[in-house]
Amino acid sequence: MNLNPFWSMSTNTGRKRSDGEEQSGHQSGEQQQQRASPARPSFGKKQLPSIPKNAVPITKPASPAATAQLANGTHASYGPFYLEYSLLAEFTLVIKQKLPGIYVQPSYKSALMWFGVIFIRHGLYQDGVFKFTVYIPDNYPDGECPRVVFDIPVFHPLVDPVSGELDVRRAFTKWRRNHNHIWQVLMYARTVFYKINTMEPLNPEAAVLYDKDVQLFKRKVIDSVKLCNSHLFDQPKMDDPYAISFSSWNPAIHDEAKERMFTHKRRPEDHHKGLQVSGLSWVKPGSTQPFSKDDNPPQC
Amino acid sequence: MMMASMVANGNRNGREGEALVLKGVDPETCMIVFKNHWAQVVKILEKHDPLRSNTSSNMAALGVIGLSSGGPMRFGGPIPGDEASAVQNYVEHMLFLLMEEDAGQAGAMGPILEFVVMENVMERLFLWSLRRQFTDDMKLEQLKMYEMIVGQARQPLLHHKPVLRPLMMLLSSCSGTAGPEVEAELVSLLNQLCCVLAKDQSVLELFFHTSEDQGAANFLIFSLLIPFIHREGLVGQQARDALLLIMSLSAENQRVAQHIAENTYFCPVLATGLSGLYSSLPTKLEVPGEEWHCLHREDWLQMPTLVQFLNSLEFCNAVIQVAHPSIRDQLVSYIYNGFLVPVLAPALHKLTLEEVMTTTAYLDLFMRSVSEPVLLQTFLSFILLHRHENVHILDTLVSRINTPFQLGTVSLALFQTLIGLYCEDVMLQLILRYLIPCNHMMLSQRRVVKERDFYSVSAAKILALTPSCCSPEHSPPPLRQLDSILWSKGTDNSPNTGIKETETFLEEDGSGYSCVIGSEIYLDVNYLHYLYNARLGISSCTRACQVWSAPYDGEDPPPEEYQPSALEETGARGRQAQTVNPKRSHPHPRPRPPCPPQTTDPAPTNHLELEWDDSYDACPVVSPEAAESSRPPQPPAAEPPKHIQEMRRTAIMLVKGSYIEESDFQDDVMVYDLVAKKDARDTVDRCRPSRETQPELEESEMDSEFNLEEDHFKESSLQEKDEVPLSNGLSLPLHPTNMEVNSSEVTKGSKEVKGHVADYNSNLQSPSATEVGDDLMGQYEELIRTLGSDEAGTGGSSPVKTVDKEFRNPVVTPMEEDEVDFSSFSMDTPELEKQHSSLFGTKLRSGSTRSHSVPFTGPFVSVLLSRLENMLDNSLHVNLLLTGILAQLAAYPQPLLQSFLLNTNMVFQPSVRSLYQVLASLKNQIEQQASTKKDFPEMITSAQHCLLARESSLKGQDTNSGDSRDCSPLVAGRMMKSSPPSQPKTISLARTEVFATVLFTEFLKELAAIAQEHSILSHVPMEE
Repeated sequence: MNLNPFWSMSTNTGRKRSDGEEQSGHQSGEQQQQRASPARPSFGKKQLPSIPKNAVPITKPASPAATAQLANGTHASYGPFYLEYSLLAEFTLVIKQKLPGIYVQPSYKSALMWFGVIFIRHGLYQDGVFKFTVYIPDNYPDGECPRVVFDIPVFHPLVDPVSGELDVRRAFTKWRRNHNHIWQVLMYARTVFYKINTMEPLNPEAAVLYDKDVQLFKRKVIDSVKLCNSHLFDQPKMDDPYAISFSSWNPAIHDEAKERMFTHKRRPEDHHKGLQVSGLSWVKPGSTQPFSKDDNPPQC
Repeated sequence: MMMASMVANGNRNGREGEALVLKGVDPETCMIVFKNHWAQVVKILEKHDPLRSNTSSNMAALGVIGLSSGGPMRFGGPIPGDEASAVQNYVEHMLFLLMEEDAGQAGAMGPILEFVVMENVMERLFLWSLRRQFTDDMKLEQLKMYEMIVGQARQPLLHHKPVLRPLMMLLSSCSGTAGPEVEAELVSLLNQLCCVLAKDQSVLELFFHTSEDQGAANFLIFSLLIPFIHREGLVGQQARDALLLIMSLSAENQRVAQHIAENTYFCPVLATGLSGLYSSLPTKLEVPGEEWHCLHREDWLQMPTLVQFLNSLEFCNAVIQVAHPSIRDQLVSYIYNGFLVPVLAPALHKLTLEEVMTTTAYLDLFMRSVSEPVLLQTFLSFILLHRHENVHILDTLVSRINTPFQLGTVSLALFQTLIGLYCEDVMLQLILRYLIPCNHMMLSQRRVVKERDFYSVSAAKILALTPSCCSPEHSPPPLRQLDSILWSKGTDNSPNTGIKETETFLEEDGSGYSCVIGSEIYLDVNYLHYLYNARLGISSCTRACQVWSAPYDGEDPPPEEYQPSALEETGARGRQAQTVNPKRSHPHPRPRPPCPPQTTDPAPTNHLELEWDDSYDACPVVSPEAAESSRPPQPPAAEPPKHIQEMRRTAIMLVKGSYIEESDFQDDVMVYDLVAKKDARDTVDRCRPSRETQPELEESEMDSEFNLEEDHFKESSLQEKDEVPLSNGLSLPLHPTNMEVNSSEVTKGSKEVKGHVADYNSNLQSPSATEVGDDLMGQYEELIRTLGSDEAGTGGSSPVKTVDKEFRNPVVTPMEEDEVDFSSFSMDTPELEKQHSSLFGTKLRSGSTRSHSVPFTGPFVSVLLSRLENMLDNSLHVNLLLTGILAQLAAYPQPLLQSFLLNTNMVFQPSVRSLYQVLASLKNQIEQQASTKKDFPEMITSAQHCLLARESSLKGQDTNSGDSRDCSPLVAGRMMKSSPPSQPKTISLARTEVFATVLFTEFLKELAAIAQEHSILSHVPMEE
């Protein structure tokens, strides 16, 4: 499958990164220290593009191939922005859902690839920590459903024992825009570990064992969990600055992060100076009259 | 007497020398020296003591305290010079000793100070100087002496009455009559005393007590400062600083606060001073150029009177910030009643366009200068709620957006300022209250209000309106910069280095999925800037709006409660409120701002103001005779005020031929009119109870007037049919004297019909128009279908595809419809006018039956969209302002506003014009221009060059400008400094349609970026 890092606008990704860090990044500091994301200088509005000096006009017209590539047929120049923002919107939805034990983060290179980790807190797979990657088709949201691939193939009826891919499609036979969202996929990825389904398995062995010999299944699951957890501190499979990596507890780095998490102090967004940031209101709640608040000075 | 001046002058050098001398000298020696000096002084003093001579006229007149010592004495004539200078020398030394003395153990007085207190040294010295001629020079010296010892003594001196009392006597003797030098010194000393007060409040009581000794419960140092409040230069500044210190004192000290509020003229002086200073401002500004639209720092720095006014305004702002609430409230009340209502309101209604424009520019500057919420509230409630000659200031200001030339532009700038305040009350009055009932959309659409645009559908639709001549694919680099964003791994760190080579490469990642870099697609990097700015704008706006009372999301406030049909109920509530807070609209003995009338939703206007609102610029002058002949006699009050009529006339003369009216606004106004008529009735009901407080004459006048209006209303359609054509100037053939006006009206009318049939075609009933109407209806329905196609759930088909389809084969909007060309008719074809009039009449009849729910998004939106619709004819700077304001509005996070402005999926009521519709019609106009004018593409390129040059020159200016409020990040502010633009050689600014096209394209990007950021930002819980 072709992924297109062309879509990845690094500056946006950098910004998104800070969101992700707030919401889903700090799994008690296992994650790799963030690299300084490229700062974007401030620009004036309604700027015309600058005229590059000695720029050679590119006369080559956009090739038909390129246009065709835009599956959703938008204005070629803006298509990537739409996709990027659709994915950002999906990501904000994931944050909103506060899925228990699931953390994801779009990669630095492409918004179409998200790194994730799932913590299983009870059940057969208790204590399992499974890293995975979500691949989103580049014609999102009009393509097929995103794919979820575990870094290490977990022993599970619905996980391909070779590729580690989870059978997501059975839950989302047709991906419908506006109805299906990526958080649902993540939710599904979590559910499969609590509610085992053996129908049409990708791993027939696991399915058969689960149906015929649960004890052996359990032992195999435990082994699989152990295996996965033993590779927890491995380097991330993909060389991406935003890939999720675990490291052993280092008080110098992690204590502070932990404290910040517990005090729930959010870094204030950079206020830009000169702008009035606090709004005004003298409207009494429940009223639509201006200056209806009771504590108004006498002239009102 | 020279001593003090010598003391004072020798201050710096002398003191240091003395200090060196005194260092190491033991206190006892100092004391002995001091006593010796004093003994010498006393000898001379007693020799000339007037009390010993029964001719103490001086003292008696002054009525000051008696002197301690007595004894027989000769009449003292003029004091010999040698004796005076001897005293002066002694005193000089004594004061040094006093200043250099350290406090005793545990804060006790040092021995010298104790001696000074016991012997009443200071007072006797003061009396000695009074004995002689108390000239300005002498006052000056005494003041300087005190300034020195108060400022430099090492122990607190003012705690001791024998020091404080002569000081107070000196101060009071200096008040009023002194020359400028004494005044300067007086203020300087007062400032110093206030500093002492601010540091050590225990002295405060003494200041009061001391005054009482003199027979007046007076806070002397405060009263003495008041006359200098509005003084210019250093003296004024020092006085204001000193007063501010006392103000902050008042916040903690009830007694000071009470004294200032009840016993001084501080607040009235401050407020009426504003009026005085305002009256000295130029009534007409010399405008640097056509594109000038607001007073920037560099503008007003050139105007001393304006600087002075702003200083005083800033001082009011500061006082309100720090003073006790009782003072604060009194001050804003005086500002409201002593400045805004009596001075600024009439100034906003002056006779000529220039004067009104000037006042508007001042008001805008004031709004930008004021920062304290309470003061802002005062100004805002004046703008939003005050009625001048029965018209809300706000309505007047809104209607002026539509006036030609500078007044319209300056008014736009004012609204830009207002919208930038993030004030709920402003937004409520301007727009939100019209959107709350959700009548502007189809009922089924209410749930869409809060819906999130996951896939940037709206942005795509907006960008799809990009004119083909400006489309990224079609216009060649370098101008339409199409550098693709190819930041692959290696080049990540420098994302803004400009155009990169496009390249293709393959990348294998660990999982076997290959990534292909697209090679042939160019991205508009410029768009990233818009996204970035949109993000900044939206997040600061969202943060600011957290203090608002409601989310305005179509559920809260609930639309049901604010339906026009619920007006009665609201009215009842308003009535209740009014009995609590009776309206005061006439002068009040103790000035208090009038309680603004409680208004009803959605349109709190009465009929009278509409008369002027709709006819101000949209209609020709209706002369009183004309009015009388066609409608029942009216009370004179029903006519717009004389000066407004006058101004209208001026405006129309100015616009004749050059200015094309926003006729569509007129249409809205008729709806407005209907709603308001109903309102007028409500108003009568609501107003009655409070009318009793009005003078009798006024009451009867009002009553008859309102009754009349009621009758009007009851007579319903027939009456209205007569009325409305009149207000549209269509009955004018009856009055040939108005021919000239009429001709311009017909032109307007034809344009109107041509341009905006869509808005009322559904109501077309007249047979001659039926055909046209049906056709248009069909097209309109098609348009709605297209708009709603995504909503209808076209399954897997992408709405973006629809956009693309639209782009290639644009939907024919009714605006293109050219079948009805009224411009071919001249004004001497009465049938046509009849047809015209019947057209409006029909419209109104059908309108009146559903006047309760007539969707109307408010005059402000209406007027903005009307001006936007004329974008191709507008000058560049008007368009910059317009698009700036609309972008500002679009950044507001309230779903009602967002969905109205940005959601292209929303299906609105047919009579409601949306931003998208206007943009679509503009696109069509542009495409037409582009296809008919051969030089269009190259002109576009020139215009882009011109704008770029302009922008970079402005950037340079920005870095030099220190006025942060003037350097708002808004494009209009940035791109429109007062300096004349560098005229491009290749293109004249008169080619408005070319500049408008470039700007239109950029505006689309700006809006799309805002829409995209909304889809992310508005749904992430805010920090904190």
